[in-house]
Amino acid sequence: MEVLEYGFMQRALLASLMVGLVAPAVGVFLVQRRLSLLGDGLGHVALTGVAVGVLTSTAPVGTALVAAVLGAVLIELVRARGRTSGDVALAVLFYGGIAGGVVLLSLAPQGQATNLEAYLFGAITTTTTADVAVFGVITVVVLGVVSLLGQRLYAVSDDEEYARAVGLPVLALNIVLAALVAATVVLSMRVVGLLLISALMIVPSAVAQQLARSFRQTVYLACGIGLVTSVVGTTASYYTGTPSGGTIVLLAIALFLLATAAVAVREATARRRHRRRAEVHAAHPHEHGAGCGHPAVPHGDHVDYDHDGHLHAVHRTGTGVHYDEHGEHAAPSAGTGGRA
Amino acid sequence: MSAIRLRGARIGYGDVAVVQGVDLTVADGEAVAVLGSNGSGKTTLARGLLGLATVLGGEVEVLGAPVGRSRERGRIGYVPQRHTVSGAVPATVREVVGVGRLARLGPFGRLRPADRAAVQDAVAAVGLADRLGDPVASLSGGQQRRVLVARALAAEPELLVMDEPTAGVDAASQDALAAVLADVSATGTTLLVVTHETAALAGVLTRAVVVDHGRIGYDGPLAGAGAESATDGHHHPEGTGLAPSRGYRLDQPRVTTDGGR
Repeated sequence: MEVLEYGFMQRALLASLMVGLVAPAVGVFLVQRRLSLLGDGLGHVALTGVAVGVLTSTAPVGTALVAAVLGAVLIELVRARGRTSGDVALAVLFYGGIAGGVVLLSLAPQGQATNLEAYLFGAITTTTTADVAVFGVITVVVLGVVSLLGQRLYAVSDDEEYARAVGLPVLALNIVLAALVAATVVLSMRVVGLLLISALMIVPSAVAQQLARSFRQTVYLACGIGLVTSVVGTTASYYTGTPSGGTIVLLAIALFLLATAAVAVREATARRRHRRRAEVHAAHPHEHGAGCGHPAVPHGDHVDYDHDGHLHAVHRTGTGVHYDEHGEHAAPSAGTGGRA
Repeated sequence: MSAIRLRGARIGYGDVAVVQGVDLTVADGEAVAVLGSNGSGKTTLARGLLGLATVLGGEVEVLGAPVGRSRERGRIGYVPQRHTVSGAVPATVREVVGVGRLARLGPFGRLRPADRAAVQDAVAAVGLADRLGDPVASLSGGQQRRVLVARALAAEPELLVMDEPTAGVDAASQDALAAVLADVSATGTTLLVVTHETAALAGVLTRAVVVDHGRIGYDGPLAGAGAESATDGHHHPEGTGLAPSRGYRLDQPRVTTDGGR
């Protein structure tokens, strides 16, 4: 393949592969906690770190990592104190990070700040071999921590109050998660840019959560979607000459819209079928019960009745008796199918 | 050892004490109802035991250690009032209930076969064995509540704290819950149930602690706390602080929407 003949594209594809895999693995927990924008906030803080790197002529990746991790720890401590809402703390982080970065970069000698755009919008083709090495280390560390602490991170993200009640180290786990986000932000900086950093964490998770049945499935599916969109987007950007970050994110959003539409169609179909069945049985001559002639089929906490080859679960509504179809179609959502 | 021991306890949020100067000892294996009207402080009292409300003064010991410093927290089961099985990301019954097991495993421990068996047993105990691999969101509201009960049971707790487990639950589910709690109680687990209504759990809970304006107004047999006497013609014992005309139970709506304070 032509795209693989160039060293800069090999490095670009390696970087996008790592980002695509790592970002959703962390992002799923942010989606679960409803803190999707935390990555954006830390991306803004990372800009201050980049500026410090430019000013002091050290590697911006390193200083960005330090700034983002410090910001992450700070925001968790603020949240834990409970005096400021997470919302306001995030907002202050956003503005402080961008303002600090802009002011510090303006102090840099003339000509130094020209690659600001590369950090804001991504410049994957400028990835150096040293960058790839740093990214590799970040990838291994982040995936290692997620696989080691994933269940606990899930517990804290799902129900923080319960986790605290049973003595899980909630603050420590939150700080670990925030530090993982910070590391991912720095990893994604080159590929999608600071302004789009959260997209690769959040959008693949948003796709996966519509299709998966379990949290574990969601994580794997999100990582797969992230990996494919990232690599395909980077390759496409080579041929179309578009920026890699924007291309990847648009691809992921297209997948999101596709999944949303598919799920909506599936639910509408299930609802229609359910309504049709319900109408058929609206004039049902009897309530199912012992000896009504329809075979009883125990189903979890209730009894279904075999009725012309499909299962009826009776439940009462405000106006009378209503039959859910069990065993015919899976519950489309939290509503119709599961109740009895 | 007593499962719960409070001496002059002041519990609240921030600097504001909701519960004042409470003395309470619950022995191992007791089954206690904590009663009181909305805003009486009964939920705050329970949350203080779990480290979810701040102990502002006095002593609060749970399973033999001061709350917050206890290394025994993994042996506490907790069923919150709201069913919060509503995360944005799908999770199966097995995954949610598995969380109940985590606190026992130390900072890095993973679920072993014995833990998975405990999770299965807990799910079976609440009658959802065939839903183990289903997404929690596909369950009805009552079933989701039972998932949260199973999560607490999976810890094989020595102390089980429940907040309003019967509020907004139909009679059949209340009876099922009573049966589960009877089994749990029979294994020696201490029960502390914050509730508005004791009728459904009267067969399980034996002692009542009535919280009134942040203090304990009555502490004695459940039958004397007004819950049962309201229907069987007994008189309230003197000094319970419970005027029948403002009965804390019968006048309450069954579904509460306050924050559970």
